[in-house]
Amino acid sequence: MPIGDTISQMIRREFLMALDEILELPPGTLQGPEKLEGFAHWDSTAVISFMALADSNNGVRLAPREMSSCETVDDLLRLAKVDV
Amino acid sequence: MHAAIRAIEYHLPENTISTADLAAQFPDWSAEKIDAKTGIECRHIAATDECASDLAVAAAQKLFTSGACSPQDIDYVLFCTQSPDYFLPTTACLLQDRLGIPTTAGALDFNLGCSGFIYGLGLSEGLISSGQASTVLLLTAETYSKFLHPRDRSVRTVFGDAAAATLLAATNVGEPLLGPFIYGSDGAGGPNLIVPTGGSRQPRTEESAREYEDATGNVRSGDSLFMSGPEIFNFTLSAVPASVDRLLAKSGRTLGDIDLFVFHQANRYMLDHLRKRLGIPPEKFYVFMKNCGNTVSSTIPIALKSAMMEGRLPEGSLAMLVGFGVGYSWGATLMRSSEMRNVLPSKSPGLISDP
Repeated sequence: MPIGDTISQMIRREFLMALDEILELPPGTLQGPEKLEGFAHWDSTAVISFMALADSNNGVRLAPREMSSCETVDDLLRLAKVDV
Repeated sequence: MHAAIRAIEYHLPENTISTADLAAQFPDWSAEKIDAKTGIECRHIAATDECASDLAVAAAQKLFTSGACSPQDIDYVLFCTQSPDYFLPTTACLLQDRLGIPTTAGALDFNLGCSGFIYGLGLSEGLISSGQASTVLLLTAETYSKFLHPRDRSVRTVFGDAAAATLLAATNVGEPLLGPFIYGSDGAGGPNLIVPTGGSRQPRTEESAREYEDATGNVRSGDSLFMSGPEIFNFTLSAVPASVDRLLAKSGRTLGDIDLFVFHQANRYMLDHLRKRLGIPPEKFYVFMKNCGNTVSSTIPIALKSAMMEGRLPEGSLAMLVGFGVGYSWGATLMRSSEMRNVLPSKSPGLISDP
């Protein structure tokens, strides 16, 4: 992690890196404002992987119906209680 | 008297479909990705004219040829399936006749999926401890492959067909070898894992057979099985840890008292997540699906048979069994293996390993 990152910035970076992997993107691709519908691998498997990530890392249980209303990566992070 | 599991056999149909075959059909998903998400390399698929009852007959006949029991010993047949031969008559009655079980035996079908084995054990314990039966043949069999649309990768990568035959007999012990049991049901989740048509509510029509493509490219019709993976995952996160807690509280045990956890083998990704969330060490968490897939109500008996063959359930050990899925329906119980020495390690042709 870059020196000077706050804990919330570190958590956000961890989530973005994990989402890079879920969406089969090169590490460091996602910044937050990206539209989810643009990603070929944003499917039910990716949704489950993100639900598992939020549960493991933040102890947040995500409802699939709430997730389906997310348009951007940042929307997802907010739902997972990650500071955006 | 209480029920004890005396033997388990299972049967897998001859036809198979590998992950490599599926990756070739669905180029968006590599074999590596399918393997990472499901932990399944091979699924067995029933032939067009092969019913769940045919798989159950093959599994039961393995029990009889293994010497575990003879058809004449059975005084109750429980058949768990969501793929009966007919609306009526009861498939378990047809199985009584096909297997040469005495006409004095009771027989009934019960319609459950991935929780079915736990409910079958609970029914068997009830029948035996109340003196209604002394030797129960619990058959679980499913041919979900017949419900799957060929172009729906979300389910074709997961499910395989199979049957298991579990012999439960009365044993004169002080403490039950099976139990306590906890159960749960939530029909609000019914639409998340469903074959919508073909029953009384919605008959099959030309309209219901019309194919549609979902947002992620999976194709199905109203006549095929629909599963919302995210909703099922959410249900599992809610039901399974709570069930484990309820069962431990009811039994006065702690997680550390359990020697082996055998959960419904849904898929590897889900099981890995549940294991970590519950804090179960990997060496105590049995996984067996690599060469058969998610076989619905037969995953637990198939895994149990494999664990027994590997010596993972020595006499005196305590296993926790948890089933969960379609309905929603779930259940859990404890199994003490003090009587498991009677399980015969037959050389079943269907026996496979999951290294």
